[in-house]
Parts: sequence; structure tokens; C-alpha cells
Amino acid sequence: MTKPVEITWQDEAFQLLPEKALFWEKEKTLFISDPHFGKAAAFRKAGIPVTEKTTVDDVEKLSQIISKTKTKRIVLLGDFIHARSSKIQVLRNLLFLWREEFRSLDLHLIRGNHDHNAGDPWPELGIQCHDEPWNEFKWQCRHYPLDYSNIPYFAGHLHPGFSLRGKGRDRMRSACFQINDSRIIFPAFGSFTGLKDIKPEKNDQLFLTNGEEIIALPATHSFVRSK
Amino acid sequence: MKSTLGQQQIAAFFKEKEWTTFPFQKKTWDAYKAGKSGLIHAPTGTGKTYAVWAPALMEWIDEQEGRPLPKRPPKLRVLWITPLRALVEDTTRSLQELAEGLNLPWSIQARTGDTKSSMKASQRKKFPSCLVTTPESLSLLLSYPETKDAFSDLQAIVVDEWHELLSSKRGTQTELCLARLRKWNPALKSWALSATLGNLDTALSTLTGTHEDGVIINGDLKKKFIVQTIIPKNMEKFPWSGHLGGRMVEEVAKQIEQAQTTLVFTNVRSQTEYWHHALLSIRPEWQELLGIHHGSLSRKDRTEVENRLRAGTIKAVVCTSSLDLGVDFSPVEQVIQIGGPKGVARLLQRAGRCGHQPGAISRVFCVPTQAMELLEYAAARKAMEEKKMEERIPLRAPLDLLAQHLITLALAGGFQADETLREIRTAWSYRDLSDEEWAWALDFIIRGGKTLRAYDQFKRVVVINGLHHVESKLIGRFHRMSIGTITSDPAITVKFKTGKSLGTIEESFISRINPKSNFFFAGRLLKLERVRDLTAVVSPAKGGKGTIPVWGGGKSPLSSELAKAVQYQLQNAKAGKFENKEIKALAPTLRLQNEGSTLPSQNQFLIECTDTREGRNWFLFPFAGRLANEGLAALVSFRLSRKTPMTLSMAFNDYGFHLCSDSKIDISLEQWTEFLSPDQVVDELLGCMNLSEMSKRQFREVARVAGLLFQGYPGAQKSARQIQASGGLFFDVFAKYDPENLLLTQSRREVLERQLEIERISEKLQEIKQQELILHYPDRLTPFAFPLWAESQRTRVSTESWSERVSKMAKELENSSS
Repeated sequence: MTKPVEITWQDEAFQLLPEKALFWEKEKTLFISDPHFGKAAAFRKAGIPVTEKTTVDDVEKLSQIISKTKTKRIVLLGDFIHARSSKIQVLRNLLFLWREEFRSLDLHLIRGNHDHNAGDPWPELGIQCHDEPWNEFKWQCRHYPLDYSNIPYFAGHLHPGFSLRGKGRDRMRSACFQINDSRIIFPAFGSFTGLKDIKPEKNDQLFLTNGEEIIALPATHSFVRSK
Repeated sequence: MKSTLGQQQIAAFFKEKEWTTFPFQKKTWDAYKAGKSGLIHAPTGTGKTYAVWAPALMEWIDEQEGRPLPKRPPKLRVLWITPLRALVEDTTRSLQELAEGLNLPWSIQARTGDTKSSMKASQRKKFPSCLVTTPESLSLLLSYPETKDAFSDLQAIVVDEWHELLSSKRGTQTELCLARLRKWNPALKSWALSATLGNLDTALSTLTGTHEDGVIINGDLKKKFIVQTIIPKNMEKFPWSGHLGGRMVEEVAKQIEQAQTTLVFTNVRSQTEYWHHALLSIRPEWQELLGIHHGSLSRKDRTEVENRLRAGTIKAVVCTSSLDLGVDFSPVEQVIQIGGPKGVARLLQRAGRCGHQPGAISRVFCVPTQAMELLEYAAARKAMEEKKMEERIPLRAPLDLLAQHLITLALAGGFQADETLREIRTAWSYRDLSDEEWAWALDFIIRGGKTLRAYDQFKRVVVINGLHHVESKLIGRFHRMSIGTITSDPAITVKFKTGKSLGTIEESFISRINPKSNFFFAGRLLKLERVRDLTAVVSPAKGGKGTIPVWGGGKSPLSSELAKAVQYQLQNAKAGKFENKEIKALAPTLRLQNEGSTLPSQNQFLIECTDTREGRNWFLFPFAGRLANEGLAALVSFRLSRKTPMTLSMAFNDYGFHLCSDSKIDISLEQWTEFLSPDQVVDELLGCMNLSEMSKRQFREVARVAGLLFQGYPGAQKSARQIQASGGLFFDVFAKYDPENLLLTQSRREVLERQLEIERISEKLQEIKQQELILHYPDRLTPFAFPLWAESQRTRVSTESWSERVSKMAKELENSSS
């Protein structure tokens, strides 16, 4: 696992991980959004040949983060399982085995649009499901971002991507965290997910990640914690 | 030979209408009567349609053997394929005219994506006697089991604008459809109507397949073609580079005034917008009389312009190759070409849009936007005289298309593997399909490829007793919705607040326009209100300036034939022979080039090295066309930066490429020989980072054709939304988990062959190896070098890591905004 970026937001210290997760050291809590597990299954059902290995790798990636950070709790900001057609034996076995390995983890899911379609995860997984907003912390946990909020929050849903344009036709498109004083929008954790281009707003700072490295883009107000 | 009843009736009708029967038409009628297939080629459209239509009608008349004609329309006998939906209507009308004139009970109908579903349903119950349709619609029809029976009386299939289809996946798709139709009826006659091209034999073979011989008929009416250049008045002030040609606007306006209707061809869409605006600025009274037409405008606007052209109620239309086809139906009085012609056949075809009256001359007025284009006009004229036309190369066995076609066959009642392989191999482009490729394609449509072995629930095509068929209705529905090969680029729709759509624009352009700023589009000045999702909402702007939009793709390269002809003109100039007006006008510029560095002779390869503010610049001139030059630039940069770590920025155009380094490195002739070596070209190009990015983009098309991307339709159900994914996403997944996947191999190959013209690159490097390399160090940028230096589109070649690149680009962004 390569270097995270340390930020201060709402007077709390967080780590932004290049694997597209946010880790809160103080309460050993990991936040991720939009894993879309089992997405490939929906495609296979429609006759489009995609391997489920992306889900296998994503679950593996999650396991590695858990081991490295020694997190005790995971909050999923929505879209845990991609669709009803994803709930097949292959996925069930995979997630059950994973849960066995991390039996003591406290798991929470904020229901997103895909969860409403797929239904809550298998009860044996022991994931506590909440409708948004979940007010466990000083900030709210949501799936959908809001146009305006006077209460700070975390959200996902958008799968934010940013296109950096250089001279000529140079262009680099990456997933990103979109952060301002009132909210943090998470990139999609799942690897078989697309990106939606966003245009940063006035007081946003973007953190670009390609899955292996994470970089803070310069901004008028930086959240990066200086050493 | 005694003429048949059918022939007599046609002859009588023609006489009544005072139409001439041309010799090539007679030849076609005889060949058709003898049951032959064939290809008719000519630069203009006149008479090709009836050359094939008349004998089809004659055939039916003769079959009645003198008995009174039946009152009911006969069962489907002729399929007429045309590439553009816009041409389908024109064609249908034209065919109806002859059939009705002969009092035949034939029904002739069109069928495209635009046809109303009620009409489509009734057609499938009972097809008309002649169906005019597109390759996609034909493919779709072949996916229904009932079609085989409905086509049992099919006598002939005619493919129009074959030169246009031939070198694209749509042409290959047509080949596969023809192979199937021929399987059902081995006596089927196939006829192609084509413009002139350099490889007629291949054009015929792709039409008839491997088993049949056909005839090639020259439909050329020996019209006179004239390339006339409008020489700029003030050559000293005429720019060496640029594409907009602002200085020539008055000349063009004056030329337009000389005729009733004019087509003004430009090479790219942004030039169309620019010229439309420029002409209106100096002739505001032409507001209602000047049209604009290109591929990104809304269909409504395009159709309106096409209708007005047909009716003759428009003075001039500024357009791109969007109006290259449909020659038969709306001839104009005058044709103007702005900028370089890029190809000989294309210029010939555009000239052929005018001069349709007997004895008239087809003339194209050429308007240069920069100095070197004068050379291109002179070169094109010579090449036209010598009939040196470009070849259109068909694709080689594209597997994405094969997969799509096999599922079509599986849907239509199923197929057996071995006999279908034989059928596929009768299609010219698939004649060399290997057993491995076939096995891969079957595995892909049945099991989804190697990586899906573990998932036995995956069912696309199911095999029972050797019969490959599709069981799932859902899969059938999705497949039929996705049939086709046209991949539309993700684009921003431009709409008025009222909801009226003007067309599409690229995201990269709109992202640079600030809200409340103006830009030109669809011939109007617009103010950008806001951009949300994939829509840009605009309002009419009051006045003032505006940015001209730019579209990324679609720039045709200078063809090899034209490039050779241009170099020939340069040789003449070097030898002091100034044989035409263009070369004479260019003489001062060429003299400057000779003084600054040199005019390369045939066995010389010129490299110029000049220092500017930006650093050290090298200019190389292979004259290989912009695509191959891009590949050469990438290759040479790669080899250069591999030897010595450096940052290079590169640019290219049709004549050469430019490398700029911020450090003043010396490169000797020996080193250049190494960098220009023809060895290891493919491997090294594959190693260039650029290539994998290009392959990823190309994979979009492959993924789409192979049925991985669900195109969807308005109001798609939730189930459809769950299977949306991009080509880039599939590329990443396949690259990681199934790197041997032949679709990946195909997209890489397509990039090498189509986008970089790898063959042209290899040939050029072989040529350069035989030439003498000469290195010049001009003090100032020469006329050859200047356009490259001024080229705004540059790419950087870097061996930097992801984070290094991102940091650098972020910094640049910061610097430019502060």
C-alpha cells in the first residue's frame, strides 16, 4: 500500500488512501463508497462476457487495507451490491468467506440506489443497513450528495473523475476525492466502475488517484495537513 | 440479338423521356441478363442507377412471357443497399419513377432506423418488391428466422457508393450479409455502384466473394474535369501555415456569385463554421441563402439543407465530406474546394457534383489557405490526368464484426459450425480466417472467452446437437438493438432553452468556454448559458466575437498518391521547371526554402535543425501524410529519448513532423540513420505509451461492435441501465484479466493499420534508408518548417511516472490561470 495523503477536515485528521478509501485513525474506522460488488454478473446475465475477477480483486484489496490499517469498523456509503442479478452463488461465497476472515468487524451500509434495487445484503454478513442520512458522527453519512447543506457530510454516488488537460491534446483522466469545507465526495471503490467527469467548484480541492498513488491538486484552500 | 419484350419496353420509355442509353448501360444490361455480377465505376453519378435497375425490371417483364402483367406487387426481388439514410429516400423515389413509368405493379419501399415501426412490422409480414435499405438494417433483417423465406425470390442485390463502404466495417458487414444471401441463393446477382478508385479488382472481389467472377464496367462518360486554382493576389503576404484562409474570403464570395448553386467544401467541421461565418460577414444579405452542413449538426438542420439543395432554393452550402455522397440526386452548378484536397479521387468526385448537363465540364475551384496547398492542386491535376487514384483497402477479418454476425445467425434459427465457417470464408475479407480465429470467435460467443470458464450460468449462444442458437429473449432483444458498426462519440448536445437541438460538440471544446461567453455553431453565434451532464444550453447571442469550435477527429491525411505527386512537383521546381500557374506563384516561397536550407531532391531526405526561444527544433519531411507522420514522430521520439533522457514535444502535419527539446542536444547524421531505421518498427511502436492510449480509444469501437457495449435507447428500463459501461473500462478489465483476448489484439492492429498507417510508415523508412540524409542548420524557420512550428496541437513524449505527469500538468494549470 503506497503513501496516503493526510488531511484535516472539520478539525479531524483523516488519511486519504490511494486505493480510494478514507481512514479515520482516531476511531479506527474506514470509509469507502460505491464498491458495486457483483457488477460483472449483471453483464453476464445479459450475455456480455465479463469476468467476476474484478470483484475478487476488489475484495482482496479491501482485505489488505483492513489488515494494514487494523480498522475495526467499515462504513460503506452505498451501492454495495450492483444489482439483484449480482446476488449469485459466486458472489455469496466470496463475501461469506471474506466475512469469516474478518468476523469482528463492525459493518455499516448507507443504502444507495443500487442497494434499493438489489435488496439488502445477505443477513448472514451482519451488515447494519441505514437509510440516509446516518448521524453517527459529527458529519452525516449519505449516498447522494446535496446541492447545499449546512451540516457537513460524506457522500458517494457520483463516481467523480477529473480530466487534467495539458498542452496540445495531452489529457489525463483519473478518479478523485472532491473535498470542500462542507462535504467530501468519494471516488468509487469498485474497479469495474466508470468515471463521471466533474468540474470542481470554487472552494474544492481535488485529490487524484490512479489506485496506486494519490496526489493533492493545488487549491486556494488546501486540506493537506502540513507536517 | 433480338431484343426481349422487357428491353423493348425500356427502350420505348427512354425514348419517350428523351433519355440517352449510354453504351455502359447497355453493357450492364447484357451482363445482368447473362446472370453476371459486376461493379460499375464512374466519377459522376449519371446513369449508374438505371444501369442496374432497368435490367432488374426487364427480367421480371420477360418472366411474364407476354401474359398480362399481374396486378399485385411481386414478392421481394431486389435489395438496394445505400450507406446513408439521407440517400435512401432519394433512391426510392428514383426507382419508383422508372417502375411507375413502365406501369409495373412493383412496390418500392425504404427501411432504415427512421422508418416507423408500424411500417417496419407490415414490411416484415410482406416485403415490397424492392427494398431500399442500409447495411445495418439488412443485418438486422437477417436476424429474424422468417427472413429466409421472405427472401426466396430475391434476384439481385445492388450496393450503392461501394467505394465508400468498402474500406470500413460497414462494408465488411455487407460482405458477410452477401455471403449469407448467396448461401440461400447461389444464383444471386450482386452489383455495386462505385466512384473511381485505384483497386477495382479488390472492389469487385469484396462484392462477389471468393467463389464468383464478376465484370467491371467503366461508367465514365469521359467528362472533362478541370482543377482551377484561385491564386492569391498578394503571394508575398500569403501565409505559409494556417487553415482558415481569411484572406481569400472575398475571392470565394465573388466566385459564389458567378453561379446559381455552389457547394463549398472544407476539410474539417471547424473550417465549415468559420467560412460560413466569414462569408456572412461580408455578404450579410446571404443570411437566408447560405447553408451549412456537417456531421455534427442536427439531423433536422441537415435534412433542411439537403431539401433546399434538391429544390434549388439555396445559393451555396458550406460543407464537409458530409455532402460527398448522393451525387446523382442534387447536382449543383459550381464546386469550390477550400484547403488541400487530401486525395485525388475525392477531388474528382467533388468536381463531379457539377457539370451534369451533356457536354458540360466538371470544374472545381480550388482556394488555398496556405502556400503549400498550391502544390497540392497542381499535383492533383496531374494525378487526375494520369488516373492515379487512391486504393480503398478493405479490413482484414475483423473479429468483433464476426462475433456480432454469428450471433445474428444464431438468432435467426441457428447455425452449424463447419458449414458456417465455409460460408464466412467465401466473404473476401474473411477468406484467410484462420482456424484459431474461428475457434476463438465461437468460444467468445458461447462461453465469453477464456476467463469466463468458471461461470456456467453465462449463456449467450447455446449449442445443442451442433446447432448454435440463442435461447434468451433478453439477449436477442439487446443484440438487435445494438446491431451495426457505427460508434457515436460521447458528445455534448447543444440545445436552446426551448429544447431545440442544434447538434453536438466535443466535450474538450465546451470545457474551455466560460458560461456567458460566445461561440459559433451551426452557423449561428451562441451564448453558453450552462453545461449540465451531456447538454450545453445556449441562447442566441446578440453580436460580437465568438470562438470557432474544434472537433478532434476526422482529419484525412494526404494520400500517398497525392504526396508522391506533390514531391514530383517539387522536383520540377528544383530543376527550374515552372510548368503551371501554381508553381509559378509559389516560386518565391520555394526560392526562400532553397536559400534557408534546400529543396530536397528525390534521393535526399531533409532534416532541418533550428534553435528558437522554445529550444532546439528538428524538422523532418517524409511527406507521408499526417497519420504516418504522427507515427514516425512517436517512433523517433521514443528512440531519441531512449538514448538520452529528455523531454520532447512533438507536432506533425501532412508533410513532416517536428520535435522540440528544451535542451540543446546534438544529433549526428549517423545517429539519425539509427533513429530512422526500418527495423523493429512494430515492436517499438507498441512500446510507445501513445499507442496503448490510442488502442484504448480504438477499443471503444471494437467493444461496441462485439456487443459488449449496450447502446441503449431513450427511456431504457432499469435493467438496461445496470449494464452500462464504457469501452475504456472493458479495455482495462480485458487488459488485466484476459490479455490474449483477440479483441485487444484487433484494436491494437486497427490503431497500427488505420490510425498510424503502419504500412506507410514501414515503406517510408525503407525508402529513407535508400536516400541520402542531409542535415541543414537554418538561422530562421524555413517555409517548410514554419507550419510545423506553428502547429498548435502538440503532444509531449515522456517517460515520467503517473504522479510526475499529474504534478507537472497541475503546475502548468496553476501557472496559466494565475
